[in-house]
Amino acid sequence: MVKPTPSKGKRKQPQRTKNSTRIFYLALAVVAIAGIGALSYMSRRPADREVSPVDSTLPKVQSNGYLIGSAGAPLEVIEFGDFECPSCARFATLTEPDMRARLVDKGIIRFRFIDFPLSMHRNTWPASRAAACADEQGKFWEMHDQLFETQDQWNGEATNNPNAIFKQLAGKIGLNQQQFDQCVDSKKTQAKIQAHAELAMQQHIAATPSFIIGGKIVEGPRPYDEFKAIVDSALARSGSPVAIPADSGAKKTGRSAKAPSR
Amino acid sequence: MLMALIALIGAFLSLYLTLFKLGYIGTLACGTGSCETVQLSKWGDFFGVPVAAWGVGYYVVVLALAFAGVQERFADSPRLTSALVVVTGAGLLFSIWLTYLELFVIHALCRWCLGSAAITVVLFGLAAWDWRVERNALRAER
Repeated sequence: MVKPTPSKGKRKQPQRTKNSTRIFYLALAVVAIAGIGALSYMSRRPADREVSPVDSTLPKVQSNGYLIGSAGAPLEVIEFGDFECPSCARFATLTEPDMRARLVDKGIIRFRFIDFPLSMHRNTWPASRAAACADEQGKFWEMHDQLFETQDQWNGEATNNPNAIFKQLAGKIGLNQQQFDQCVDSKKTQAKIQAHAELAMQQHIAATPSFIIGGKIVEGPRPYDEFKAIVDSALARSGSPVAIPADSGAKKTGRSAKAPSR
Repeated sequence: MLMALIALIGAFLSLYLTLFKLGYIGTLACGTGSCETVQLSKWGDFFGVPVAAWGVGYYVVVLALAFAGVQERFADSPRLTSALVVVTGAGLLFSIWLTYLELFVIHALCRWCLGSAAITVVLFGLAAWDWRVERNALRAER
């Protein structure tokens, strides 16, 4: 069976080879230009990496989010979260109750929540402001839990007036209604939320929820067991005991002497 | 020629994944997709270097070899053809292993990674075909 091979063909038909080589170089150039173009287009989308809307005229404030747990806990876990993000709600409702009961309340970790309102969510800024207003009355975490539990009722798809729902939630958790309403309406906590969003940007956070656990960024909601395993390995790295007995308060104080990593 | 073109596409694809892994590309997201899961898993690095960066290296080597094959000097060089079979064969095995990890260990499929795996299959297929054709041609000449 005599079958002309491409390599043989090349030798027999130099003109054709020349043409096809030309087409090859042309195609190679097209692919190269298209590839470089696509990559530079994708890397040049700063708008998507920004939090909007940011009001640059507001005076800058210093705020490091909201902390729960003992100052003497050997490890601090930071969450960058968006109240309107369904993945954050999944973490808050499925993992966080266990995390608080088994890690925060037992002094194994302390937990910091920092707002990172993403531009894709319409009502997330009002939600962050409402949480900050609840914080004024010492009930940030109660509002935090309520916001995530009722997310489907106040998100951008559900309503144009989320503040009405936040005011109801305020009543439910026993806030001073007048003070809360005034705070929410005045948007006076805006600068604080912006400061939080800036912290997230500084850390190059790319998704919510993101956690900083022992210096590592962990993205996405994790089931409790997985979360605990990450905490354990961070504790092991920092030299703190991983298995901490739930009982003794004395040990807690003992550990606090070993300065927390952050 | 086709191999060089496909390798160039593969090189851009893995360059994208490398930049994504290093955080230069990508949008803010609520929750994470499968590509993030795969890339941020402990399997996202191989000997301390992102797997995607290994991919860039692999595609550049294939591109260089295939490009050399187009040059008249090296045309029909059996060594070059064999080298392409070996390199793309190694790439194929590595891709099979990575896809196995995605399916059965990480339990998440990154479509860009699958695209790269598909490219390695095509590249190996082309290299093997070329090798066979050349072997037959050599036999016919004898």
